[in-house]
Amino acid sequence: MDDFLAADNLSKRFDGVQAVDSVSFAIRSQEIFGLLGPNGAGKTTTIRMLSTVLAPDGGDVEIGGYSVTRESDEVRKRIGVCPQELALYPELSASDNLVFFGRMAGLSGREAKSLAADTLERVGLADRAKDAVRKYSGGMKRRVNIAIALMSRPQLLFLDEPTVGIDPQSRNHIFDTVLALRGEGMTVLYTTHYMEEADRLCDRIGVMDNGRLIALGAPAELKAQVGDPATTTLEEVFLNFTGRSLRD
Amino acid sequence: MSRAFLVALIGVKRFIADRGDLAFGIALPIALFALMTGVFGGEASFNGTAHVADLDGGRAASELLERLERVDGVSVRRYAKPDLDDALDRSAILNGFVLPAGFTASLDAGIPAEVRILRRGNGGDAAQIITAILQGIAADLASESRIRNGVAALAPDAPPQRVDAAVQRLITDARANPPVRVETQSLSEDPDDGDDFFSRLLPGMIVMFLLFSITLGAQTIVEERRNGTLERLLSTRLRPWELFAGKFLEGVGRGMLQALVFLGLAFVVLRVGGPLAFVQSAALAAIVAASASALALIIAAVARTQDQASWIAVFITMFMTVFGGTFFPVGDSGALNILSRFTLNKYAIDAFDGVISGAATLADRWAEIAVVGGAAIAGLAAARLIFRVSSEGK
Repeated sequence: MDDFLAADNLSKRFDGVQAVDSVSFAIRSQEIFGLLGPNGAGKTTTIRMLSTVLAPDGGDVEIGGYSVTRESDEVRKRIGVCPQELALYPELSASDNLVFFGRMAGLSGREAKSLAADTLERVGLADRAKDAVRKYSGGMKRRVNIAIALMSRPQLLFLDEPTVGIDPQSRNHIFDTVLALRGEGMTVLYTTHYMEEADRLCDRIGVMDNGRLIALGAPAELKAQVGDPATTTLEEVFLNFTGRSLRD
Repeated sequence: MSRAFLVALIGVKRFIADRGDLAFGIALPIALFALMTGVFGGEASFNGTAHVADLDGGRAASELLERLERVDGVSVRRYAKPDLDDALDRSAILNGFVLPAGFTASLDAGIPAEVRILRRGNGGDAAQIITAILQGIAADLASESRIRNGVAALAPDAPPQRVDAAVQRLITDARANPPVRVETQSLSEDPDDGDDFFSRLLPGMIVMFLLFSITLGAQTIVEERRNGTLERLLSTRLRPWELFAGKFLEGVGRGMLQALVFLGLAFVVLRVGGPLAFVQSAALAAIVAASASALALIIAAVARTQDQASWIAVFITMFMTVFGGTFFPVGDSGALNILSRFTLNKYAIDAFDGVISGAATLADRWAEIAVVGGAAIAGLAAARLIFRVSSEGK
């Protein structure tokens, strides 16, 4: 299978702190790739560099054959980003949010409206499309957050902790959506602190800590490195790699 | 560039969509406007209604009422006599005028005609003023009638139409060149000044609210930075300069909404000037809004939190309002004058002075406009240098 994303020696430093340190990995086409790590491991900084928002201090990334540092416009045409935060406009309706971000992704007004309707249907919000997002529940807001990322018709979708603070129903709906998107040919980079989520969804997982990629492989492969794959949980794998000490 | 406009449009749409923001942003300025107008006497001219029962219905009665209606601020409401009596009985009105039957015939015959005034108490200030105006018009009509009759008596063989035309010509000349000319001299420093309300307070309020609304809009940029919306936009095809331009235009749009409310009130309610003055004032407001919007972008770049943005905005707005001569003249020298030169308000208010009332044009205020426009350009350049999308400095 071809690599859709290839990160090579990616590095970033903030105020004397090495946030990301020579990280290299690849994500194959139509793969759901989990990026795991404790708080402050460098996951979000890595995603911000992959999504062209933050320029790396060193290294480069190719997405769909285009360099993030030199051909960021081409890269942006191929990605959709769902950040950790609810990065949307709560005063506006879900439909208005989606149409606006669709226009920003280069769609015409008509295309954006049509895709917004389809996408809201996909995330189960078609009947609330005209309501202001601030009236939504936490789970519904999360689904709008993901729907916005889909408005660029991305080939690669970044989902940064998309299920934080929501009920099991909404979480399940998001899982189903992610799996359906992969089935349609989309590649997904997924970060989460919920290990069972990563175990259920991800084809391969990379574990980051202190800005470095310290483990990489399919969930079963990582489990085998720690113990019996049949009985070992991904949480045990995670704690084994990253340690049990508390993080800031 | 179209994406920059879309960014601006969505910002203005958010402002309108948030009913609370809109209510505070629009209703409070209107309330203040009404208060200041009431307290500082912002009416452009006298306003009053003459309640009239015309029992004559002839030429002279109609002429009298038409002339009364032509007086600035006076409107005429016509009644049937029983309705006028009823309104007075109920104290719905305190003053009424009756033009009795035979009013026109008496004037035409050179016999003293009568206007009856029905009044409860003293009738009120407005009624007394209207009475005085009506007495003046009635005296004019009587004089004209006497002249017409006199001329007709001197030339009994002349056709009545010629007599009327000659008399009308003389009256028109007399009105154009009255034997006694009454002049009003403004005692303010600037000869273009109207009274203080129109020359300082009204422009001052417009500028103050423009500054408040836009600089407080800096909060929304800080909020967007914190919740990641700005950063998310940069992962789309939107370029950083388009985002910057969009936020600048959003500020101008939000400011213009408020400015147009103020100007609309001033022009519709107070009738301060004509359509051209309105257009010129709106154009000037757009320039001031551009300066304030650039200032908001600077505040948004400097502030780390929404609270910081609010306090910086309040400080700047208050400094400019107080030291920019919004509520009192700053004088030609002294510390206040020096401080005022560092405020947008001073130049903006001076630029509005006269333009709002139509006494001056934008061309007359080119120097002030150049300063405000220059501040917009310089502010925009400075803001572009320090504008940040993410909290990590990008």
